[in-house]
Amino acid sequence: MQDFRYAIRDLTRSYKKLSSIIITLFISLFILSLIINLESGLKKELNNNAKILLGGDFEIDTKNQKIDAKFYNDLKSLGIVSSTIEFSTMLTKSLKGGDNTFFIRLKAVDNNYPLYGEILSKPDGGLQRMQSEDNAILVNKKIFETLKLKINDTVYVKQTPFKVVGFLETVPDLGRAILFGDFAVVNIKAFERLNVTALGSFINYEYKVKTDKDFKSDIEKKLKQYPFYKIRLPEEAANNLKRVITNFSEFLSLVSISAMLIAGIGIANTLISFINEKNISIAILKSVGLRSGNIKKIFYIEIFILLFVISIISYACSVISIPGLNHFITNFGITLQTEFNVVNYLIILSTGLLVVSIFCIPTIASIEQIKATSLFRNVFQLTKFQFSLKNILLIAALIIILLSIFLFRSEKTYYTSMYFLFFFMFCAVFYLLSKIVVFILKKIPAVQTLPLRFAIKNIIQERSIFPITVLSLGIGTTLLLTLTLVGYNFKRELQQSIPEIAPDYFFVSIQKNEKDPFTNFLKLKDKNVRFETVPIVAASLTKINNIDPLTYIKSNNDSYWVLERDRRISWSNVPPKDNPIMDGKWFDVNDKSLQISLDAKVAENFGIQLNDKLTLKIYGKEITGRVINFRKVDYRDLSINFVMIINPNFAATIPHEYIATAKFSDPTLFKEVEFVQTFKNISLIKVANYLGKITDLVNKIFIAVVIISSVVVIIGLMVITSAVVVQARLGIYQNLIFKILGLRSSKLIYANLIEFLFTFISIFFIASLFSLFTSEFVVENIFRLNWNIEIVPMLFVLILVGVLTLILIFINTRRFLKPSVYPLVRNE
Amino acid sequence: MGRLLELEKVNLHYKSHNTSVQVIKDADLNIESGEKVAIVGKSGSGKTSLIMLIAGLERPTSGKITFDGKVISALSENELADIRRESIGIVFQSFYLIPNYTALENVSLILEINNVQNARKKAADLLSQFGLADRLNHFPTQLSGGEQQRVAIARSMAVMPKLILADEPTGNLDTENSKLISRLLFDYAKQNNSSFILVTHDQGFAAECDRIIKIEDGKIL
Ligand SMILES: Nc1ncnc2c1ncn2[C@@H]1O[C@H](COP(=O)(O)OP(=O)(O)OP(=O)(O)O)[C@@H](O)[C@H]1O
Ligand SMILES: [Mg+2]
Repeated sequence: MQDFRYAIRDLTRSYKKLSSIIITLFISLFILSLIINLESGLKKELNNNAKILLGGDFEIDTKNQKIDAKFYNDLKSLGIVSSTIEFSTMLTKSLKGGDNTFFIRLKAVDNNYPLYGEILSKPDGGLQRMQSEDNAILVNKKIFETLKLKINDTVYVKQTPFKVVGFLETVPDLGRAILFGDFAVVNIKAFERLNVTALGSFINYEYKVKTDKDFKSDIEKKLKQYPFYKIRLPEEAANNLKRVITNFSEFLSLVSISAMLIAGIGIANTLISFINEKNISIAILKSVGLRSGNIKKIFYIEIFILLFVISIISYACSVISIPGLNHFITNFGITLQTEFNVVNYLIILSTGLLVVSIFCIPTIASIEQIKATSLFRNVFQLTKFQFSLKNILLIAALIIILLSIFLFRSEKTYYTSMYFLFFFMFCAVFYLLSKIVVFILKKIPAVQTLPLRFAIKNIIQERSIFPITVLSLGIGTTLLLTLTLVGYNFKRELQQSIPEIAPDYFFVSIQKNEKDPFTNFLKLKDKNVRFETVPIVAASLTKINNIDPLTYIKSNNDSYWVLERDRRISWSNVPPKDNPIMDGKWFDVNDKSLQISLDAKVAENFGIQLNDKLTLKIYGKEITGRVINFRKVDYRDLSINFVMIINPNFAATIPHEYIATAKFSDPTLFKEVEFVQTFKNISLIKVANYLGKITDLVNKIFIAVVIISSVVVIIGLMVITSAVVVQARLGIYQNLIFKILGLRSSKLIYANLIEFLFTFISIFFIASLFSLFTSEFVVENIFRLNWNIEIVPMLFVLILVGVLTLILIFINTRRFLKPSVYPLVRNE
Repeated sequence: MGRLLELEKVNLHYKSHNTSVQVIKDADLNIESGEKVAIVGKSGSGKTSLIMLIAGLERPTSGKITFDGKVISALSENELADIRRESIGIVFQSFYLIPNYTALENVSLILEINNVQNARKKAADLLSQFGLADRLNHFPTQLSGGEQQRVAIARSMAVMPKLILADEPTGNLDTENSKLISRLLFDYAKQNNSSFILVTHDQGFAAECDRIIKIEDGKIL
């Protein structure tokens, strides 16, 4: 209790000296809180809104087929049923067209829709008109604004005129189109006017039910007669979104824990210089008979009080700033609420506690080095980090606990543990590097140039900060460079290189009888057109080696999407050019049984081997075939890609339609309007429009990554500042004596500069090397994108870090070279 | 009067690099309770080293030191700290007060860590006796050298230790202040029947003590 009182007294008098600890702790805890709060907030919102996102208490998944009439009536006896139809199509402002063609998700709704949530639209009354008039349409705000529409203007969908009765703000269950997409809503009667005659693979029939009865057993009984149908419950809504959120926030929390660990170095530096400043007080306390243990306890209490207060403040700040982030996630269609979550706070507090303890143990242990005898001799040696065996074991234990917290929270234990492994490996390499440089410099015979000699002396002296600076600057720079490289590769892949190889248009819903007229049309317009037409059919993967995969593959599996609903599959005599075969052989033409070529990544995620049996359900019929090969599929190249391709001689008899891509030698040769008028049932997607939407999303992600990396830089620089301050204190007497002896301060500044260059050059190459290696791993293996060196951003980051560090060093050193230091010396 | 301190054949070596300096050689010394002893000797003769040995801040290379019936040369760091806290007061040549504690806090601290009740009041009384009643809430930097040394002496005496060790307590002060300081030391020791060991170059000061010990090249003469 008494110790607690001393700690408080001491803290209230010297908190200014600890300001850099306060700032680093605040920044790192704030960021960590923000990420954890954001993640749990998003997940909670998704769970709370699960019924709204699903659109009912349950949904009957009919595999995109129109529901059986008898079953439909059975559903009605359970509660209110809402049936909707959703499909992709095009919307234009006039039949003559122009460039303003929108590829939209059109939703046709009945009068029961929506069962949960609401359609938000403007102006008032638009909703009612859409429901009652059979040629009314509500479009989303972006279409409304881009086409400069007014109420009662006419737009065309599949050549059919519709009257715009308002614009939509949100639709509760937009499903797949949720991330990027334009959409419009009409009522079912209006939909019938469209006369859609597609084979159905692009039309989604959705049946949702609202009921307060206990429906599960009832439904299950009924479903026995309809083995194709499946029930979907609210928990399964927005699985994709949940996965994206988990992955992204896990990545961010790893970055932020690294930032915290780097911050720990800074905290240790500041603390040791604080202890050194107090060495007289500590020596006096020892001379009057206070035990080392008690003195250490006082320091621990001080630092833990600080941590406690700062963790509360930073957590509160993060809670307050959550609403400000809503702006960034408008795409998800949900709004985050502010709340104080005790569990989250405890995670933050214990993370802080662990990091602080890990770094304070060797620092506070250094108090043992301060001897009361100094008071007689009038000399005070600076203390250094003390690593006794007991301390090392304790630190190791704490690190293991810290890592376990993150591994335990993580859904990707493998990546998380790899991350930590590399983090600590890199730390070790940088530390070793500093020792090697010191070793080499020690071997160099005495040099003549004075500043160089001072610089070398500073680096090789026993209490040099060189190792700590190399370690913190090295790890910080590596992290920053890696993030920069990943970010740039990501951006480039999605923005620049893709449009070059990407087609200009996608064409969907091409019927068998339209295939030839369609190809002729394209060739007629541009004889150098490059196009690809492939047959497709909807199939679902129902069994792997005769076992329903849904029984053992969970929704957090990266390839879960393959199972979630029907996938379009295709067939081909030759392997797609851009899908290299990773393992196995292409189809055996003599074998008439079903052969399957599978996406290699999906195979890996599902644990599928060559020759495993897969059962596909096509048009309600189950057929089983063998996996013959694995292809490397890159879905992001925007050419036509399929999870599964089957052998043609098996597939030829299945009813199917086609999809196509086309790249024109000169895009102006192709007239969208003429095409739309000629082929009423074929929808086209202009890739440029689609990319624009992706770009928007990528930019938001990029901003988040940049913000997080700047935090790492700020923390890294604080660490360096603290290290410089430690060294400046160390060098202060020395510098003063040099000055008194008549050495120009410019010489001392040169010496500082040279010392910095040694540090910077040592980390320059290793940090670059590490970041090249890790960013390549992340881009190629995690994002499955192509990786390139980005020299310019890399150099930019390196120079920026260098210049900032240099400025910081100078500011801090100058402080100690100015005459005002003399009183400072006298008081010490 | 019982025996307070006994040194038997105490040796102290300092090892630096490969040379070993013998700083204290076969020192034998007895000090009774209440006895006031002055140590004199040339610079570098080993006076400070001897004080540090007695305070338990330095361990003898060989020999035995007994304080108040306990063989302190055999005790652990923590046990030595306990003895210093309860029974030994130290005064340094350079005063050494805790810079961010006020005069009052510098004195009351030692009482508080010995769990004395009303520590602040007792410290204030003591400082008043030392003529510092209106300086209680000043920080060390706001005090003159003489005032700082008075606070330091008050601190060393606050718990009424059995032994006060003072290493040239007036070395940094003018004659007038020196006289004042020595007065305080003697008066206080008399009142509490404390012993003190005083290192000094001041002949008059030394003469007032019960005994003068001369030390030369690490040997007690
Ligand atoms: N750490 C050490 N290593 C080696 N020799 C030391 C060490 N500390 C002190 N000495 C030596 O021990 C001897 C005695 O030192 P001490 O400080 O006890 O002398 P002193 O009598 O107090 O002198 P002064 O009157 O100048 O304060 C000196 O010769 C000194 O050089
Ligand atoms: Mg001395």
